[in-house]
Amino acid sequence: MSTELNKIRNIGISAHIDSGKTTLTERILFYTQRIHAIHDVKGKDGVGATMDSMELEKERGITIASAATFCEWDDNEINIIDTPGHVDFTIEVERSLRVLDGAILVLCSVGGVQSQSITVDQQMKRYKVPCIAFINKCDRSGANPERVTDQLREKLGHNAVMMQLPVGLEAEHEGVVDLASMKAIYFDGDNGEVLRVEEIPAELKEKAELKREELLEEASNYCDILADAFLEEQEISAEMILSAMRKGVLTRAVTPVYMGSAYKNKGVQPLLDACIQLLPDPSEVTNIALDLDNEEEEIILGNSSTEPIVALAFKLEDGKYGQLTYIRVYQGTITKGDTLINTRSGKKLKIGRLVRMHADQMEDINLIEAGYIGALFGIDCASGDTFAAPKLNYSMTSMFVPNPVISLAIIPKDNKAQINMSKALNRFSKEDPTFRTFVDDETNETIIEGMGELHLEVYVERMRREYDAEVTTGQPRVAYRETITRRADFNYTHKKQTGGSGQYGRVAGYMEPYSEGEFEFINKITGGSIPTQFISSCEKGFKAGLTKGALMEFPVTGIRVEINDGAAHSVDSSEMAFQAAARGAFQEAYKKARPVIHEPIMKVVIETPTEFQGTVMGTINQRRGTILGAQEEGPMCVVESQVPLAEMFGYSTILRSSTQGKAQFTMEFANYRQVPQSITEELQKKKAEEGKGAA
Amino acid sequence: MNVQNRTAQVIYLRERNFMMLKKDLMMRNPLRSVSDENGYILPEGGLGAVVARAGVGKTALLVQLALNSLLKGDNALHISLGDPVRKVSLWYKEVFNNIGVQYKIDKIDDLWNELLPQRFIMTFNIDGFSVPRLDERLTELADQDIFHPQMILIDGLPFNDQMKRTDLHALKELSEKFKSHIWFTVRSHRHEEPDNDGMPVQIAEFADLLDVVIKLEPQDNEIQLNVLKGSGAISAQDLALDPATMLIKE
Repeated sequence: MSTELNKIRNIGISAHIDSGKTTLTERILFYTQRIHAIHDVKGKDGVGATMDSMELEKERGITIASAATFCEWDDNEINIIDTPGHVDFTIEVERSLRVLDGAILVLCSVGGVQSQSITVDQQMKRYKVPCIAFINKCDRSGANPERVTDQLREKLGHNAVMMQLPVGLEAEHEGVVDLASMKAIYFDGDNGEVLRVEEIPAELKEKAELKREELLEEASNYCDILADAFLEEQEISAEMILSAMRKGVLTRAVTPVYMGSAYKNKGVQPLLDACIQLLPDPSEVTNIALDLDNEEEEIILGNSSTEPIVALAFKLEDGKYGQLTYIRVYQGTITKGDTLINTRSGKKLKIGRLVRMHADQMEDINLIEAGYIGALFGIDCASGDTFAAPKLNYSMTSMFVPNPVISLAIIPKDNKAQINMSKALNRFSKEDPTFRTFVDDETNETIIEGMGELHLEVYVERMRREYDAEVTTGQPRVAYRETITRRADFNYTHKKQTGGSGQYGRVAGYMEPYSEGEFEFINKITGGSIPTQFISSCEKGFKAGLTKGALMEFPVTGIRVEINDGAAHSVDSSEMAFQAAARGAFQEAYKKARPVIHEPIMKVVIETPTEFQGTVMGTINQRRGTILGAQEEGPMCVVESQVPLAEMFGYSTILRSSTQGKAQFTMEFANYRQVPQSITEELQKKKAEEGKGAA
Repeated sequence: MNVQNRTAQVIYLRERNFMMLKKDLMMRNPLRSVSDENGYILPEGGLGAVVARAGVGKTALLVQLALNSLLKGDNALHISLGDPVRKVSLWYKEVFNNIGVQYKIDKIDDLWNELLPQRFIMTFNIDGFSVPRLDERLTELADQDIFHPQMILIDGLPFNDQMKRTDLHALKELSEKFKSHIWFTVRSHRHEEPDNDGMPVQIAEFADLLDVVIKLEPQDNEIQLNVLKGSGAISAQDLALDPATMLIKE
């Protein structure tokens, strides 16, 4: 194991579906001699790169899709971290972005920057991940790396600078011109493993000079020595250019652009060189933890192996030997036998076996130092948990997890499926805190909850593929909520005197809308009209009222209850009596407080060719949506809107059929908003009918 | 979508509250004093220009003109050449929140959600924008009954080179066709001298097509709204922007 931090790169490869991420990863592993033969990606049907790489993994028995694959290039260690391509699982994506120090943004030289590249790029921007771009598929017809570089500038706002020029495009794509060294590189051998460096072909010479000029101009912004040399027209070495560009990349001021065709084995080795030359090593990245003892205050971690340990479990995997937990160590050194604290649960854990993952095998190691990625066996935790040295109560991720907005009943097909399903659900809910599951007491059905239709669909699909659990699904249900709109007083007496000891309790006060949270209970009792020992029972009673609102039996949120008076009986008052009184008081006031129903509203962003703009807006309008705006960008147009989740079921099909499959959309939770009166009435009618059906 | 379109007799209590709130905001709105009895500054089918140097508050004023018409129940279309939808949205939210703070309104978020469907933001790349193209988009929106703007605001028209007199004519026709009121911004420069009538050079040759021209000029601790052209109430008014909140004050 190398101990020099500057020889480590933790990188992610992020890409649009079908831009060739799997092929590129495969080639990287081949050239770094992690795998020994190249296979093609088969059955690409556009369903999803992650899914097809998982299938591939099964067929081939290697872990391409494993959370972190380790490989070596030129005496440097590269950890390739898997970044989920789908944008719906924000939490999972965010977690993997926390772990990487740099990224390769893969773009298709034909398709260019597409809406998903925009989303992926925004996430990288948010986490300030330095990146280099790789324009893939230069062998395809219609390939135009220069146009894609322009799009990087215009659509994504990157300061994109070409580091290479293609030697031939489409079927004639042979290699690349390296603008730093001013040499042409060709890729010989059966699998492009032999690099042949030659002079630049005459017809490209002029263009290469021009592009090099642009590159030097940009590089001189980051290095004074280079700037002086450039002005004085001195000879400038490739090393000088790269070291200047590196400074720009680390601050995200510039995005160097590389190109080639992974499928045709062109341009991958120079890209690997660029990862080492341009992307940061772990010591060059600022990592921030949140101090849980201090209201999640941000703390900058030290990146040193001698400080107290802070590590993040970013991915769990089920293996033959139980749960494998991938971790990244941010500071300190984890050694076998260490005792750490899981700061989420507060539980102690003892480090047993430590391993490092290769493409097709794992290696036992004794310690993991700061900046490294490794895996642990036999640790019970959820992904996203932070392990820290006993005295530190730090967390790498915020404890805030949004509540699910949609639920779905799932029914296993047979007994075997039932067993596999519960295994799968157990795993998924550990992996993804926004995915939840429970058994409905009334219907006895298993319910899964999540952040969107697609979110749940993918999990159902994974259950089938990875756990062999065939399940049928019910209609998706929207997570409506109830809340009140005005203040209402209560004064409720619970009295029961039918034989035995009686029950007596009176609570008085008021409830009012509360916008800062879900529930607040305020005790303003003075003079002991309700004895102190019964106050918590009152709170419990009110909380019990929150589970089901009187309007439509949806959960109630956004209520503040204040009690300011009451009465107790020296013999007949009990905890039970006050709980019952509070429940009664809640019901009494709730009806008067004009309850309303709230529904989840999604932010829906649709990218469509301009000619379908009107049609797309029409589909939003039909769905009670509000169009926030339309943004025209050349031939494409981006429509931003807010639409109630309840109206979004099956939207992908509608959108596809109304735009000849040329539009795509992304959806994320925006907020909760009051349901219009007419829809409330509809919901109530439906509910009444269901009630009748059940009876 | 808006209140007037609903069945006339039924007014839900919640909406009545909002109507009262809107009315209240309009009553306190300084722009009221420069509007006609229907609440418009421009005549129907009219054109208005807001002229200022960069960073003085053109967009802020446009947004307030838009909010004024939203509160009145009109639909406003905001066209931005250059800025993305998200940024324009932020402008609105910011100005609206400032109004909320200034007039101490507590249900500002609910009111905002209420107004949102009446606003539409459209953005173009400067090169991709032309009046016929806008006409095409608007006709499409109107034909499909998606959006009918009574107020159109255009931020960032390229007056230095691209805009011709014919374009302004076309814009005027568009305003008449949709029975709307169009406001646009004009960016002036410090070094440019106005023409003899005091009109900024960018619009001097079109001035006859414009109904109202307002120039924003920083003066002492506020930004003065100087009316270079206009008739009726607007010409006699003394309004200014508060540089802290960018809100109009009397």
